[in-house]
Amino acid sequence: MTRYILRRLLLMIPVAFLVTVGVFVLVRLAPGDPALTFAGEDKSPAVIAAIREELGLDQPMPVQYVAWIERAVQGDLGRSFQTKQRVLEAIWERLPATLELGAAALIFSITVAVAVGILSAVKRNSVVDLLATGFTLAGVSFPSFFLGIVLILLFAFVIPGKIFPPGGYVPLAQDPVENLRRLVLPAITLATASMAVNLRQVRSSLLDVFGHEYVRTARAKGLRERTVIVRHALKNALIPVVTLIGIQIGAIIEGAFITETIFFWPGIGRLAVTAIPSGDYPVVQGVVLVSALSFMFSTLVVDVLYAWLDPRISYDTAGA
Amino acid sequence: MMRYFARRNPRMVVGGAMVLIWLALALFAPVVAPYDPIKVNVLDQLQPPSASHWLGTDDLGRDVLSRVIWGSRISLSVGVISVSIGFIVGVTLGLGAGYLGGMFDLLVMRVIDALLAFPALVLAIAITAALGPQIQNAMIAIGIVAIPAYTRLTRGQVLSVRAREFIVAARTIGASPLRIVVRHIFPNVTNALVVQATLATAFAILAEAALSFLGLGPQPPNPSWGQDINYSQRYLANLKWWMSAGPGLAIFTAVFAFNFLGDALRDALDPRLRRSA
Repeated sequence: MTRYILRRLLLMIPVAFLVTVGVFVLVRLAPGDPALTFAGEDKSPAVIAAIREELGLDQPMPVQYVAWIERAVQGDLGRSFQTKQRVLEAIWERLPATLELGAAALIFSITVAVAVGILSAVKRNSVVDLLATGFTLAGVSFPSFFLGIVLILLFAFVIPGKIFPPGGYVPLAQDPVENLRRLVLPAITLATASMAVNLRQVRSSLLDVFGHEYVRTARAKGLRERTVIVRHALKNALIPVVTLIGIQIGAIIEGAFITETIFFWPGIGRLAVTAIPSGDYPVVQGVVLVSALSFMFSTLVVDVLYAWLDPRISYDTAGA
Repeated sequence: MMRYFARRNPRMVVGGAMVLIWLALALFAPVVAPYDPIKVNVLDQLQPPSASHWLGTDDLGRDVLSRVIWGSRISLSVGVISVSIGFIVGVTLGLGAGYLGGMFDLLVMRVIDALLAFPALVLAIAITAALGPQIQNAMIAIGIVAIPAYTRLTRGQVLSVRAREFIVAARTIGASPLRIVVRHIFPNVTNALVVQATLATAFAILAEAALSFLGLGPQPPNPSWGQDINYSQRYLANLKWWMSAGPGLAIFTAVFAFNFLGDALRDALDPRLRRSA
């Protein structure tokens, strides 16, 4: 296990290097000249040249990349063209909101998927199963931004009482009830696609596990069906779901960009989306870099968890 | 024969029919759409669905149904072109990496791993934001995002095929690597690639709609499903639901059609991928 973790960490180094190169190239591809933005009203050639020298923009690309990496490692991802705030500071301020939304979506997605997936597998070909199977395909096809708008329409303008407000954010520490009320609609919006994927996997894994001898033996011993499912089948059926969580953390990160925009949720996704039309590329690229590195790390954690959950997996001997 | 095929593969027939309907609508939009999708007519603004405007009108009096039909041209063309970009580049890299192995394989797979390190839509947003909000850049961005899946799939298929006897025999009689890859290996991996292409088109349509929703796709007044849904948000409080319902259901049915067809193709073409459930 230790060798596997070390090997994965070593393999992450060239990948992380390529990720930073990719983000750096995207920053340089962006239209506009940062020197012009920082120059303000005085755009004389001498001032522009001085700013370019100060920012290192007159250096060759490889030198600029090394300087950018040196600053990034020390936590300096540049400054917003609009607000002049440090990019990492802006991300750090908004990260808790994104984490809260992502965690709520993940918990909701897994809880519903496991519950309905068990029901669907146990009552195969019943109405519940057919509806669940239909949902698995519909859920991944339904655009999340349209779902968000439908939920806003229903809960804010059709159903009286405004049980769940259509947008905005109240910090959890300030007012937990209001925070949770405003969390429900964006969390459901963000969770739906991954819930469909999880549901399909839980159902499929359970049906696969039901055919194994140890489940037949458990039933033959006269154990109650609930005991067979919960104590024997579910544990093994959920192992593949763990690997799906790793992939879905990526889906939740990318979904946050859209969901936070619809519901005015002040996370890093909305930070990047509002920075795009104003050409605030340091912010966009900072968020993209943080998203990519977070996704890489979460994938590693999930892979290690998978190996720990399933003793049959031996990453030290397998060619993983 | 059609009835026989429909009995054996009803899901493929249904999915295929849905896809064909959308392709026909996109192709014949100038003939099928009842109105000009960008012509402003303020006298008819914000009309609910009626006999003359089946999906109502927007705040500029433009027919929502016509915008949905014309919008299918953009969504489906982005879907097809971006999948083609991913297919051509990804399959080429996968064939090379799988057959040649060694340093080329190592380098290609590290680049692919780097692309996969980005959440797909985040990468598409970053590329489109960098290149500029235009439909061509959205195609390039989504195409780049599609490359890793094809590369990995093709490489995996090549690795499983290249040790087989007919490949060894071809090598023995002196066939060039290019001939072996093109004439012997590639035909054996097409089934999985067809399934992937169909499912990738579904993702591409959804991704294009998402980029348009964020303002990174086709620019106004051109009809675009995602952009029209974004625009409709300001009229939610007035319960002008039809402005978002039309394009929203269009995205859903188009994506559903390709996903449904892809699932059916997977079950029919590749027994190893067939699920036990």
